[in-house]
Amino acid sequence: MLDLMKYIGKAKIRKFDIVFWPFLFPLILATFMYLAIGNMEDADFETIPVAVVEQKGENLEEEQMKEAFFTFLSEVSDEADAENRLVHIEEMSETEAKKALEERKVDGIFYAGKEISLTVGRNGISQSILQILLENYENGKQVLLNISQAHPEKMEAAIKSLSEFDTRISQVSLGGKTMDGTVQFFYALIGMACLYGCFIGFGAAMSLQANLTVLAARRCVSPVHKMKHILIEMVISFALHFFNVLVLLLYLRYVLKLEFNGDFLQMLPVALLGSMLGVALGLFVSSIGKMREGVKIGILLAVSMICSFLAGLFNGTMKDAVERSVPFLNRINPAAVISDALYCINVYDDPVRYTKNLVLLGVLCIAMVLGAFLLVRRERYDSI
Amino acid sequence: MIEIKNLVKRYGNLVALDYFNLEVEEGEIFGLLGPNGSGKSTAINCMLSLLKYDRGSIKIFGEEMAPDNYKVKKQIGIVFQDVAVFEELNVYDNVDYFCGLYVKEKGKRKQLVEEAIEFAGMKEYRKTYPKKLSGGLLRRLNIACGIAHKPRLIIMDEPTVAVDPQSRNKILEGIKELNRQGSTIIYTSHYMEEVEQICTKIAIMDHGRSIAAGTKEELKSMIKTGETLTIEAVFVTAEQIQEIKQIPHVFDVEYKEQILTVRCTKAKHNLIRLLTFLQEREISFGRVFSELPTLNDVFLEITGKQLRD
Repeated sequence: MLDLMKYIGKAKIRKFDIVFWPFLFPLILATFMYLAIGNMEDADFETIPVAVVEQKGENLEEEQMKEAFFTFLSEVSDEADAENRLVHIEEMSETEAKKALEERKVDGIFYAGKEISLTVGRNGISQSILQILLENYENGKQVLLNISQAHPEKMEAAIKSLSEFDTRISQVSLGGKTMDGTVQFFYALIGMACLYGCFIGFGAAMSLQANLTVLAARRCVSPVHKMKHILIEMVISFALHFFNVLVLLLYLRYVLKLEFNGDFLQMLPVALLGSMLGVALGLFVSSIGKMREGVKIGILLAVSMICSFLAGLFNGTMKDAVERSVPFLNRINPAAVISDALYCINVYDDPVRYTKNLVLLGVLCIAMVLGAFLLVRRERYDSI
Repeated sequence: MIEIKNLVKRYGNLVALDYFNLEVEEGEIFGLLGPNGSGKSTAINCMLSLLKYDRGSIKIFGEEMAPDNYKVKKQIGIVFQDVAVFEELNVYDNVDYFCGLYVKEKGKRKQLVEEAIEFAGMKEYRKTYPKKLSGGLLRRLNIACGIAHKPRLIIMDEPTVAVDPQSRNKILEGIKELNRQGSTIIYTSHYMEEVEQICTKIAIMDHGRSIAAGTKEELKSMIKTGETLTIEAVFVTAEQIQEIKQIPHVFDVEYKEQILTVRCTKAKHNLIRLLTFLQEREISFGRVFSELPTLNDVFLEITGKQLRD
């Protein structure tokens, strides 16, 4: 039996389809993704030029409000910290400001008067940031108004406090671990890599089903029990793909140095069940019907890519969008379950949800392995 | 050794095997001859328990054949029409893998693998991968993988399809050698020359039925044709054709595109009588051929069509 396993293993690791898609492709894709989005967190945003048009206040309160807004702006456009300042402010007349906006010398105009308003020439990140700034200010203003009504004596202190605007937000994960916003793409990538085990499963089905290849027919007419053939194929395929996923995890963590702050050992059962699921998916789909090889590969590719896409491989918000509209899909999509389990380990630090995901993965895995097993265990066929 | 009785296999409305019967004795090289689609491969796949069949029985070595009859399977070697080897394993590893499915003991297996490689004439290709082998060598590897465990019964399903003449002769010689070493062989083909050359007994198949069986001499004696005379004649009139038909033992005359084909029953001096007639009538003629009946003639007479139609 060991000799048979040796040759089956040898044949598998020399097969291009088995080495490239489940092993090399995820590594290559991870590298490209890292180069493309890996440094998104550290991306430099250019300082946003903005014009301020001062309008006369009608009373003292309005003048105070205007003054507070200018103070707020001066904080976010700290001239002393030119490298990190968010906006660069220039006071202009309305005509000059409109001209500058038209010529795209500024990205927006703040009108500071009775009401503070923002005018932008188009949509974009800079314009969104200006909008957020204004909203922040408006929120603060509302606080001041509330204070002026409830505690007018503390108004001056409140304005002082508001003028000492500072960023007090730091990004942390729910589990208290540092959160890198880009790792979600890589979790989905790991999900995809697991599902790409379907190519190994496809190869296994092709060499087990006598109605699919003549090589399988030759194996089936031998005096070796079909179960033994299936067992050898499954064990080798699972082990091989578990190794593939393991290499990917190590590559992401130690070469690309992604922030996998959770317990690495906890990731292993996810990788094991995920890789088994991928292989079983390939076995299952490839054993259905007598479609041409190309059609089956196309189906496998489509299934794994759709699952990975829905798990957020190319769009970080996709998984959440699915969760909001069709949550059941996220429960049966193996890539989403794998991705979520990895989230639980590295971001949420939520053992209950992690265990649930693991159980879900186990159930999906058992269902797929059983389905595949029932299909490939046939010994006699209607046609060959 | 093999006994197939009333085997019926249908693919929907298509009857692939129609109450097919077959008996093969130990030590024979048994040829299954028939055109493409006649049911040869279906019969083989049923024998190997790969295909379900609708009715009938298959006994091999006196035992009912079934997918889990490993005792019987252990004594069978199979060479499929298409090459069935691992592209990713070299010649030695391929033969060793397939031999390993039958022989567990390492030492014995090593010897068997060496013998099979030697038998296939592939000693210098031991480390070569299948994609680097020529078509003929690939076929020989296919055979080596099927016979390495020295089976008592070897089933070969058209093993010489798309093989060059040199490799074909080598393969056919190899089959005779395997038979001499004690293996019973079932050989399917639609090449009547091959079957005539190596088979000791032949069954002719058509539309899923065995339409005739016996030694080649027995098969040929079943038909009327004893000799076919073919003569290049420039001009033969209709009256003269009628006269030829009157010559003793002649039963069929055909004249087409200046080729006169005369079929006679088995008798002495058919050719001399015909040539004498042509000389007497001053009919100019060129090359003359005399052929003894072939299996194609047998097939033609029984089914009314050529074997390779």
